[in-house]
Amino acid sequence: MASINCWRCLARPSQRLLLAPVFVAASAPTSAAFSTSTQLSAKTPEGNTRHVRTGKRLILGRKKRTPDKTKPPLSGERKAFRKRIQLSNDNALQVSGLDVLSAENVVNPDSVGKVFGVPSPEVIDQLRTCEAFKSSQNWNLFRSPHMLVRKETVDLAKQMTDAIEKKETLRLVITGNRGSGKSIVGLQALTTGFLNKWVVINIPEGQELTTAATEYSTIPNSEMFSQPVYTVKLMQAIYQTNQSILSQYKVELDHLQLPISVTRNMTLAGLLNATKEPEFSWPVFQAFWKELRLPGRPPILFSLDGLAHIMRVSEYRSPAFELIHSHDLSLVRMFAEALGGKTSFANGAVILGVTSKGNAPIIPSMEKAIAQASAAQKGEQIPPRDPFSRKYDERVFDSLRGVKVLDVQGVSKVEARALMEYWAASGVLRSRVDEKNVSEKWTMAGNGVVAEMERVAFYDLRAAL
Amino acid sequence: MPVSPSYFSRLPHFNDSFVHVQELNRKYARLPTLHPSQVERVAWKTKDQYRLSIGEHVKARDYAACIALVKRLNQIHPDLMPEEVKAGLQPFKRNINIFLNRPKSVPIDQFGRSHGVGKRKSSIARAWLVEGTGEVLINGKPMNEAFGRVHDRESALWGLKSTDRLDKYNVWALVGGGGSTGQAEALAMAIAKALIVHEPPLKTPLRRAGCITRDPRTVERKKPGHVKARKSPAWVKR
Repeated sequence: MASINCWRCLARPSQRLLLAPVFVAASAPTSAAFSTSTQLSAKTPEGNTRHVRTGKRLILGRKKRTPDKTKPPLSGERKAFRKRIQLSNDNALQVSGLDVLSAENVVNPDSVGKVFGVPSPEVIDQLRTCEAFKSSQNWNLFRSPHMLVRKETVDLAKQMTDAIEKKETLRLVITGNRGSGKSIVGLQALTTGFLNKWVVINIPEGQELTTAATEYSTIPNSEMFSQPVYTVKLMQAIYQTNQSILSQYKVELDHLQLPISVTRNMTLAGLLNATKEPEFSWPVFQAFWKELRLPGRPPILFSLDGLAHIMRVSEYRSPAFELIHSHDLSLVRMFAEALGGKTSFANGAVILGVTSKGNAPIIPSMEKAIAQASAAQKGEQIPPRDPFSRKYDERVFDSLRGVKVLDVQGVSKVEARALMEYWAASGVLRSRVDEKNVSEKWTMAGNGVVAEMERVAFYDLRAAL
Repeated sequence: MPVSPSYFSRLPHFNDSFVHVQELNRKYARLPTLHPSQVERVAWKTKDQYRLSIGEHVKARDYAACIALVKRLNQIHPDLMPEEVKAGLQPFKRNINIFLNRPKSVPIDQFGRSHGVGKRKSSIARAWLVEGTGEVLINGKPMNEAFGRVHDRESALWGLKSTDRLDKYNVWALVGGGGSTGQAEALAMAIAKALIVHEPPLKTPLRRAGCITRDPRTVERKKPGHVKARKSPAWVKR
């Protein structure tokens, strides 16, 4: 039998191996045994010619688009998915041995640097109803909501309880760098309020009130504008979260001017729930606010996140098509007057403004007012206003007059360690939690900025995946 | 009659020196010598430097034989070294003895700070290191504001991290020029140099970590006739 590598063939032996082996068939003419062309041109038993190569082929000009057969999401579905709050995750490990936060714990200096569970289900439900949890916080990584109690938390809780014991009003603004945990400190303040049975009113996003996203209407005989739909929503949230407290107190004033009939044997909870009509909401809410401030009523915690948004000119327009200042919106003015100290509270109150760094317009007057308040609190020289600036807004200065400032910075190393141990126990963090690792993450996170700590700690995980 | 008997050879100076060195070697062969490791290091001329200095094309083999004798002579105990030998070795020594150079020591200042400078691409970083707990300020900003990428933060502190010193020092740094990657890597070099001042034995580990050597790569310049450094304009028929 002839060798496969015929010596006259010009192909190299290595290349020849790639060609189909040519066997000298009985039918092939013997006179041209060294030539392969007849075999190559001969049809194979399957009917394909040899020069048609198998494998991938370039096909041009035949592009078929299959229409997407899935249904597009309904309107609002995408936003609902984006904004959903998931507070538990069955894949995360249960962390045992952690205490549950209580009214005593939260003011105890010994609980600094420990992780506590949020009392379930009542406080979690209350916090969820008043929208204290945000979709930007990673609650969905853990089995159940837990919080790190840090120095600022205890400090704030102590200030709050002290003020309310003395029936004073604590007006406080929480500031701090981006990702340092301002909203979480606000959440902890709300938790403290719920644990202490105060009446908690929370406006979760100042932005919602001023970006012209909710309906508004003029208030007769007033320069202000009400936001009826939002007010109904807020009243329902207050009703659901504080029902047990508010149902113990009865209406004491005559509300003759109200569009609904309010009797003396109605409770405050009943007053809140009396109407769901947007047209009646603002007068009823005003009546509720008046009732709540009468002597002998429970203390109030009024909190708002995203303070910068309510310190600017809103995107609403007046009938004369002029932009409305945020403080001319009735609900915002209620908060601004409370924060500025114009409203008096007989039973003690905490007015909490939480600033935001991620989503916030730059308001020079707010920044200056906070800087001045902060300097006054520390006993330093008060920074003067820029005499040539036209950007200052006197109403903002009025609403922040004499507030206290709580500056939230990075966590200490002890707190960082507690946090990382909690992550490790939940199964999120797989690396060892030791002195070296903790201090490394602490440094990388810009001296313990919490959000950055999370990013840095899970960076290795993400890189490995 | 010429003074030197090798006047008519091709390499009169070298031959004279070589013969002189051989004679000296013979003459002082019995003087006590030091162990080569104890002899003070001398920068000898290389073959090419020697050729250049006397202007004669000395063969490599001859120069090697000669310099071996020179080195043998140099091992004579310095107390007993004859003047004749010193003069005889002089043509083979370089003008400047580089082995006498000592690196300028950078002191730690009265506040315990050490200073280091680093460069990368077009960034320049200055870092001051003081013993502490791992706090970092870059241009007055914390780490997370100075560098958005976690990778950059890691590469900026790589010198401290690779030597396990991250929680032992505080860093205060000024960086300018270039982009964030260049700034981070310039900072790595600056921090490493400042760390060496505190702990000189860390130089080798830091060199292995790649923090000591200046990365010489920079943007290549644009050339005339090119669109960019290397890119040529598209060919157009006429």
